Amino acid sequence: MNRSCIATLCLALTGPVLFGLPQAASAAPIAVAVDSSPSGLDPHIVTAFSSFQIIEGTIYEGLTALDKSLSIVPGLAESWTISEDGKTYAFKLRSGVKFHSGAAMTSADVAASLQRVMKKETGSPLASRLATVEGIDTPDAETVVIRLSAPTAPLLSSLSSIAIVPAKYLDDVDTLQRKPDGTGAFKFAEWQPNVAIRLVANPDYWQAGLPKLEGVNFDIVPEAATRQVGLASNQYQMLPNINAVTALQLKGQPGVELVDTLELSYTLVGMNVTHPLLGKAKVREAINYAINRDDIVNGALLGAGVPGGPLSPALKQWAASVDRFACFKHDPAKAKALLQEAGVAGPVSLKLLVLPRDDTRAMAQIIQQQLAAVGIDVTLTIPEIGQFVQDWRNSNFDLFISANAGTTEPDDYFYRSFRTGGSTNVFKYSNPELDAQLDRGRAEVDPAARRAIYNEVQSVLACSGPAAFLTYAQLYTGMRSSVEGFDILPNRSLGSLKNVTLK
Amino acid sequence: MIKMLRRRLVDLAVVLFGVSILTFAFIRLIPGDAVAIMLGANAEVTPERIEAVRERLGLHLPFYQQYFVWLRDVFTGDFGVSIWTGRPVIEEIAGHVWPTLQLTVLALALAVVLAIPLGILMAQLRGRRAEAFVQAASVIGLTVPPFWLGILMILCLSMVAPHLQLLGYVPFSKDPLGNIARLLLPAIAVSLPILANLARLLRSTLLEAMQQDYIRTARAKGVSRRGLLYRHALRNALIPFVTSVGIMAGYLLGGAIVIEQVFAIPGLGRLILGAIAERNYPLLQATILLVTLSFVLVNLIVDLLYAVIDPRAAK
Repeated sequence: MNRSCIATLCLALTGPVLFGLPQAASAAPIAVAVDSSPSGLDPHIVTAFSSFQIIEGTIYEGLTALDKSLSIVPGLAESWTISEDGKTYAFKLRSGVKFHSGAAMTSADVAASLQRVMKKETGSPLASRLATVEGIDTPDAETVVIRLSAPTAPLLSSLSSIAIVPAKYLDDVDTLQRKPDGTGAFKFAEWQPNVAIRLVANPDYWQAGLPKLEGVNFDIVPEAATRQVGLASNQYQMLPNINAVTALQLKGQPGVELVDTLELSYTLVGMNVTHPLLGKAKVREAINYAINRDDIVNGALLGAGVPGGPLSPALKQWAASVDRFACFKHDPAKAKALLQEAGVAGPVSLKLLVLPRDDTRAMAQIIQQQLAAVGIDVTLTIPEIGQFVQDWRNSNFDLFISANAGTTEPDDYFYRSFRTGGSTNVFKYSNPELDAQLDRGRAEVDPAARRAIYNEVQSVLACSGPAAFLTYAQLYTGMRSSVEGFDILPNRSLGSLKNVTLK
Repeated sequence: MIKMLRRRLVDLAVVLFGVSILTFAFIRLIPGDAVAIMLGANAEVTPERIEAVRERLGLHLPFYQQYFVWLRDVFTGDFGVSIWTGRPVIEEIAGHVWPTLQLTVLALALAVVLAIPLGILMAQLRGRRAEAFVQAASVIGLTVPPFWLGILMILCLSMVAPHLQLLGYVPFSKDPLGNIARLLLPAIAVSLPILANLARLLRSTLLEAMQQDYIRTARAKGVSRRGLLYRHALRNALIPFVTSVGIMAGYLLGGAIVIEQVFAIPGLGRLILGAIAERNYPLLQATILLVTLSFVLVNLIVDLLYAVIDPRAAK
């Protein structure tokens, strides 16, 4: 059937609808289609990505910021100095920054924002990032001094994720969930639940000439097919942060362009070390050898990704090359030998808890086969997401396969996941040597020395740690060719919308 | 009439009470914990924090106590706040009722307006060669899943008329024409199976009515064929038809979950789906109650309509 024939059929099918319908209004703001409605927009309280992608870098900014390559650059602080002992940070604030509600930003707002995050009543998931903050001084309106109880290398990176809000919200945990008030290039205009969140340009933005758009409309569109058709028909101009499968479907459509990057988010198989077998480092190493990561990239990610170790290759200044990890070379014979050395005789059966997502489901099936080849019999459990989170949190698994967001600062994720008693150490892993290294990494301010420490940490974790790190996927953003100036970031931030123009 | 109404209102109270208990029990039987889901997997969460949230939401109480607290609040008109957004449940629901109501009315109107002539036509075609064709078409209409039809229509329209803005939802007050335009496609998709169903129903009840004694009597008295069909048979055939329309209306008022998902319409279906995924107990509880209420009310209206169609039913 040729194209005109299909078109005729389509006309017949939908003809009656065509009459008298309004045409698209002139599209001044950009329409960005997102898949789920956020639960709230308070930058210090929300935990879900659906919230972050709307507010982070668009409405809110921190003292520091991350550039395209995820390096730390000045944000609301124009410069800073660090004392010799690494325990005092003095920030000089940018002048002429105003909140969307009109008031000028001063050091009092910065101090209040940090205190708000640290306050128990706020219940902020960011609180632990400021755990070593002892005091905050504001000698004048444009200077903030943070005093620490111990040198804390990740501080500058942490501050990029802590939004500065007006001081009046210090004790108010409700208002900002509904009506954000920040310093960013776009200000909040309207929220229609389950329909759209509308942002408009901030005319008082401190960076001259920005933003270039009149506004951003986040349209909430739960159905993937609908989002794709919407992009193809120019009802939406951007589908941010999509996976390879979706990107493949959009490829080659007229007027649609794709940009991509390796992402921070990663997949892993976690192991419960309280399990008698998984408690043995040799068994964990054997599982690493038994897994063929290239097969997983090809089978579950359509080839759009790379095998990866504990840190994303997108973090160029931190990530160790996977060539350095012997166990990343698929070797079933070695795996069997290791199992034997560990004293494992006869068939082993393990339960694998699977995150209910397309890619992790596919990976689970591949791994099931790969482990069967070395004599480990794996049973898959694929619960719905609520049950998964609960089982995961309660360490109710032998093995789990999951996808994690990943962070730009190695300490941030290693410390809570792999240190003894860490808040997301669901593996129940405890390794005093690693603990000592993680403590040193946190205190070391010299970049080269830090890198050496985290290189060591990665080697320990890669083969005998409580997780078999699997893959880092290629991340895509689909947009109309009329969209110019957008930079896709490995951490999925849409902050570069402020540089975007619509032709 | 009054007696019937009174009896029905008592029924209504019993049904609502029963449904409220069932919903309360069932949503808590679903594995997965509201607080765990709310706090997410990646955030740093301490047991104290979980306990604090649990207490704030009243989830630390035993099940039956939670129910009584909820029931007491409901009688004072307080349906609680949504666990996730912290907004009053009533407000959340109010924002989602209108699109569902519009979609229901539009889809039903389409189906009913087309089903009556189609049903009559099908009855008249009985025994002719065209009957097989019409029957086949009606079976297709009955079996095509609305979401598939919906996606197909979206795809087709994006090819034929790529500049139309047909996805999502705009309030009627903001853009009346845009509002109707965006609801038209989903209404067509939802109404097709209903249309097929109603037309087939009308055909068979019409044919049945035509066999009745009173029709033979009327014919013997010399009533014309048209008169027989429209005045005598159709009126009797309408009773099961109206019942059917009522049931469909009840279902549609509960939200067309899949179609709302496909067309990005913020209706009750999506609200319920989201509430289940989030284990948003207060929101789900109130929404289900509302849906039940509308279902029972629609049935009541249908019963009242019987009285209009058939005065004997009024007794």
